[in-house]
Amino acid sequence: MPEVRAMAEKLNVGGQGSPFAPEEAEILGVADLTALEKLFKLRLTGGRSLGHAPGQFVEVSVPGFGEAPISICSSPTQREIFELCVRKAGTVTAALHGLKAGDRIGVRGPMGRGFDVEEMAGNDMLFVAGGLGLAPLRSLINYVFDRRERFGKVWILYGAKTPQELLFTNEFDAWRKQPGTELMLTVDRPDENWRGTAGVITVLFRKLPKVDPKRTYVAVVGPPVMYKFVLLETLSLKIPRNRIFCSLERHMRCGVGRCGHCQINNVYVCKEGPVFRFSQMESLPESFA
Amino acid sequence: MERVVTAKDLAALADDMLRAGRTVAGPVRRKERYFYEAVSRGADLAFDFNYCVYSPRSFFFPPGETLLTYSIGTNELNVAPEAPRTSPVIMGVHPCDCNAIGLLDAVFGSGVPDDHYLARRKDSVVVAVDCHGPCDPTAFCRDMGGNEAQEGFDVMLTPLNGGKGQAAERYLAAAATERGRELLAYNKVGKEPARADRDAAEKFREAKAANFSRRLPYAVEKLPAILDRSYNSLLWQVTAKRCYSCGSCNLVCPTCYCFTVKDVPDLSCASGKRVREWDGCQLQDFATVAGGHNFRPESSSRLRHRIFRKGKWIKEQQGRMGCVGCGRCDRACTAKISVVEIYTQLAEEA
Amino acid sequence: MASAAPVSAKPKIAVFSLTSCEGCSLAILELEDVLLDILGKFEIVNFREAMTERSWDIDIGFVDGAVSTPSDVEEVKMFREKCRVLVAMGACACTGGINTLKNYQNEEDYRKYVYGDKWKVFPTIPAQPCSAFVKVDYELPGCPMNKFEFAELAKCVLMGKPFRLPSEPVCVECKKKGNLCLYEKGLVCLGPVTRAGCGAICPTYGAKCEGCRGLVDKPNLQAAADNLTNLYGMKIEDVLAEFRLFGAYQKERIP
Repeated sequence: MPEVRAMAEKLNVGGQGSPFAPEEAEILGVADLTALEKLFKLRLTGGRSLGHAPGQFVEVSVPGFGEAPISICSSPTQREIFELCVRKAGTVTAALHGLKAGDRIGVRGPMGRGFDVEEMAGNDMLFVAGGLGLAPLRSLINYVFDRRERFGKVWILYGAKTPQELLFTNEFDAWRKQPGTELMLTVDRPDENWRGTAGVITVLFRKLPKVDPKRTYVAVVGPPVMYKFVLLETLSLKIPRNRIFCSLERHMRCGVGRCGHCQINNVYVCKEGPVFRFSQMESLPESFA
Repeated sequence: MERVVTAKDLAALADDMLRAGRTVAGPVRRKERYFYEAVSRGADLAFDFNYCVYSPRSFFFPPGETLLTYSIGTNELNVAPEAPRTSPVIMGVHPCDCNAIGLLDAVFGSGVPDDHYLARRKDSVVVAVDCHGPCDPTAFCRDMGGNEAQEGFDVMLTPLNGGKGQAAERYLAAAATERGRELLAYNKVGKEPARADRDAAEKFREAKAANFSRRLPYAVEKLPAILDRSYNSLLWQVTAKRCYSCGSCNLVCPTCYCFTVKDVPDLSCASGKRVREWDGCQLQDFATVAGGHNFRPESSSRLRHRIFRKGKWIKEQQGRMGCVGCGRCDRACTAKISVVEIYTQLAEEA
Repeated sequence: MASAAPVSAKPKIAVFSLTSCEGCSLAILELEDVLLDILGKFEIVNFREAMTERSWDIDIGFVDGAVSTPSDVEEVKMFREKCRVLVAMGACACTGGINTLKNYQNEEDYRKYVYGDKWKVFPTIPAQPCSAFVKVDYELPGCPMNKFEFAELAKCVLMGKPFRLPSEPVCVECKKKGNLCLYEKGLVCLGPVTRAGCGAICPTYGAKCEGCRGLVDKPNLQAAADNLTNLYGMKIEDVLAEFRLFGAYQKERIP
């Protein structure tokens, strides 16, 4: 018990060190991606580089509306700015959608554990994204392309409900042009202009060329319902469970492992995650909720 | 440092603290129950009480508090973190609640430290008072190890007389921390203990050990393993049939620390505050994310979550039991769902 | 920091009453100095309790009272047409309120009781909430409604922020206040299944919660029936009577 006081003395508590105090960030630009999603380009006005790892998230504040956890969708190789892909889903994100370039918001972070890019380096990469899951994966995808020589083959499997809901479509050509890279798309409900694959994300695994399970890392991000099915596919490729990474969505309210909202079994997603290895998830039954 | 103090000495000490400008709180009798309240005179404090309906947790982690204030200017984010200034002196805390404070210290002090909690805790003083025996039939502190204070206090008062329905009037006050020594040195409260006083204290402890009996049919060290085997037990669903998901068990718990954060604009809408409020994992929307998906939609899974936190997960995370056995959750449950019964039934099935 | 732009012009508001004591309308007039700031941001264009001029160009209409007569049905439909946003205010408008007690009595008997020998002149229908007839955008439940919640809704409207009622039960507010649970005093209270937002005002003053704010989103009514009969010795008829006082016209039914 004396430790807590020693700590308080050391911190000189009195408000300035509140873990809830956000940093100011300026919106440099806003782009419409779909009917529901906008891409925000941001810069910390204090001049600090966010310095995130792919897969980490920030708590975004719109004063009066509250705070929401949003995954960072830009590559850390872009040091001066960072990007957030925001779906209008709740109070805070709706308020964000009403903002424009020049407006200021609050940011805390980066938070949580992202993808272990050092461990992944030197291997082939299989990305599997469903819907908004492409946002956090884009951070890793663009990181891999910015360090192309450090990685082997790249497969990107991406599914959305409709063609209109596909995100970052303007980057697809650049991805396809990357050496040793294949981008495969599918939609659940195609329209008359859709010439690609139709069906849920798992159909793309039928089209996947042979992957070498000994030198492939998998990164999966999608809606809760998707994980079980995708993981079964990756397991049948015989990829070891500790090389399959998933980013889990939960309500990370405080971001510092305390408020309890993001807890799955005995771990706080905001601290131990949001990126987990499948080998970890097996002992966390709630991660498949 | 040890002193022998009477209830009157303690009241006088509380008055000294009040004169020194401190907030003093402790058990106050309100009709048939005791509550922790801030007092304006030491004589209002009760040291010989059965239990307080709520734990003293709200003095360090209040049900609602301002984290920061904001104002919406032009192209500027104006936020100012709020610093709590009250660090109370709490006199009359039973061992279970001391241990709970110890757990909260670990939770709010570890990782990214929580300024708001630490600012209240920093200069606080906790005067513990030991128990003769279980305060209520719902208590199972002996099983959880909660009836022996390990941490979370600065001075321990051991009753030297009383018990068996008689109010204690004299206590052996032993400082456990530097802050406790400072408190006892303040105006040299009480007197030096005599040999007879130490003997009386020893006798109290012997009597205490005999007065507390176990309610669980097994040692608490076995609880995590029992829970491990019970993750898919039908008991969760059976028990949840009676559960309202009202969160009362969470809100009266001295070790529950989950919270929510929300913005409260003032009437101008141009400024306001961000507040933190108590929350509870039993409430319907606790694990709901924006967009509406609820990751723990059934009350059975929420019930299991609470029991696992208290019996296993917090211990794994913080090295301390998440439950001190105070029995408040059992008393607060109008559906009469009992943690002890759940722990017992799971062991029978497992 | 420019957030979602506040509404530029003053929103025009109107206040209407159906079958009720009009206490919720009066509660708006009770919004004292501190809340005038809020009301000053609106233009009141139609409010029988407070003014004689009327306009039908309405952004937000507040309705108190249950739909309990054929003319109420016509009126509530007209309000819906005239108001861009319709807010049901108080227990009567949100759940039917105590008006619904008549739904469990013989119609001729209560009409005679109320209107004497002219009873045939006053037609009536079972009392129902506004939402039974028209789409209601927001509800401010309670008997009477909580004027601070009204102010919250007003702020949300001005900020363009969605307004949500608390999803937790009254127990949460009661515990945050540090009250002794009324069950420990031997009373049976509907707090565990009643929607919070009142600040647990009744239990705080020692009166049991009668559920005037309606039920929480997913109330465990089976538990209420079982617990109150098995653990507290109530008869199921008495449990039903407790729930009927304010909550009779709700989708959820005691099993």
